Amino acid sequence: MKSSPWIRWVVAWMGVGLSGLGSLGLFLWEGGPWVISSLGLGIGLCWAAMASLYMQLRKSQRERAILDSKIVQSHKLAALGELSAGIAHEINNPLAVIGREAELMLHLLESSSQEGETSRQELLESVREVASQVERCREITQNLLNFARKMEPVFQKVDVNRLVEDMVKLVERETQGKGIQILREYDKHLEPIRTDPPGLRQVILNLLNNARQAMEQGGTIEVRTKASSSGGAEIMIRDTGCGIPQEQLPRIFDPFFTTKAHGKGTGLGLSICHGIVDRLGGRIRVKSRVGLGSTFVVELPSHPSGLEKGS
Amino acid sequence: MTPPRVLVVDDEEDFLETMVNRLKRRGLEAKGALSGPEALQMIAAESFDVVVLDVRMPGMDGIEVLREIKNRWPFLEVIMLTGHGSVESGIQGMRLGAFDYVMKPADLEDLLGKILQAHERRSLRED
Repeated sequence: MKSSPWIRWVVAWMGVGLSGLGSLGLFLWEGGPWVISSLGLGIGLCWAAMASLYMQLRKSQRERAILDSKIVQSHKLAALGELSAGIAHEINNPLAVIGREAELMLHLLESSSQEGETSRQELLESVREVASQVERCREITQNLLNFARKMEPVFQKVDVNRLVEDMVKLVERETQGKGIQILREYDKHLEPIRTDPPGLRQVILNLLNNARQAMEQGGTIEVRTKASSSGGAEIMIRDTGCGIPQEQLPRIFDPFFTTKAHGKGTGLGLSICHGIVDRLGGRIRVKSRVGLGSTFVVELPSHPSGLEKGS
Repeated sequence: MTPPRVLVVDDEEDFLETMVNRLKRRGLEAKGALSGPEALQMIAAESFDVVVLDVRMPGMDGIEVLREIKNRWPFLEVIMLTGHGSVESGIQGMRLGAFDYVMKPADLEDLLGKILQAHERRSLRED
């Protein structure tokens, strides 16, 4: 793709050149109608202008995409930086203590010949201190490992209809008396699937909550489940709210991207949903029209392939 | 599978006692705590598989207790009891790692099913 702007330039100017030459030739050779010749020249110039506009547009789009991904990247790096600093700090403290104790032990051992029993006592204390600091370090690394493991899904048999209905009931408590109606259409023949229940709950709850927040003037939320073509489950959540502008659709799953008022959203909800659905081996799709509402569809496999934990 | 060891945390004494007794009668090993700090002490002293935790409690509320539990015992499963359930605290609970929620007054069969599923999850994680 890198060479394409040059190719377009060449093509554009070739267009101008050819049409110019053509019209000039026509004019000279036949002494023909000047209207046709200037028309040709005009078309050529238009072509060139359009090509150059198109290229500028493409260039600015590319620059914007690069900028966007750089922003996300820098947010990620900032979070990573903070995390690493935290870990480094946590581990540095016990390390400092261990270092100090080691020096003390060295000193005690070097001068031990004179003072027998007292230095033995001090040595024992030092060694104990080192052992306890090492234990502290072990706890820190264990916590980190747990943190990573906590993110791993655990697959269990789940009745999707029931899980979805549980979340709908929770949201319904909030929407009562606010002009928001919730319509359900659950597929009675939907087979249970193997997925991570709390993860899926979080996804459904987030989507329902977004739907609710998109309809401050009231409206309808439609919740539907059905078997997907691949034997898994499909969950659809549709609202009649404000909708999402077309140009923002590709970015709504990006971390920190939000259209909500300042302080109303972190911009993490949908990116978390996307991350969870991804780990569950599924997909999340969105369709939206400004002023008409949005539709989110979560598609989940009946079994996670290749990443199942447990039975 | 050994019966789940359950800790129920709620500041309403009557509710707590009834719930613990009903769970015991269904073959579970159940105990009760009247506050967040008491619950945390009990969890530190003995092991549990599932905690059933009231969202609304005076002093340390359920969300705070949940945060502390997930911080210290990330694989202990927690089911939230929501009284006047709000979506925000529900979402917050789920985001902080709660396994599920049950609306008060809790239906025993419903709660039991959720406790068993939470227990299964815990044992799947242990291997």
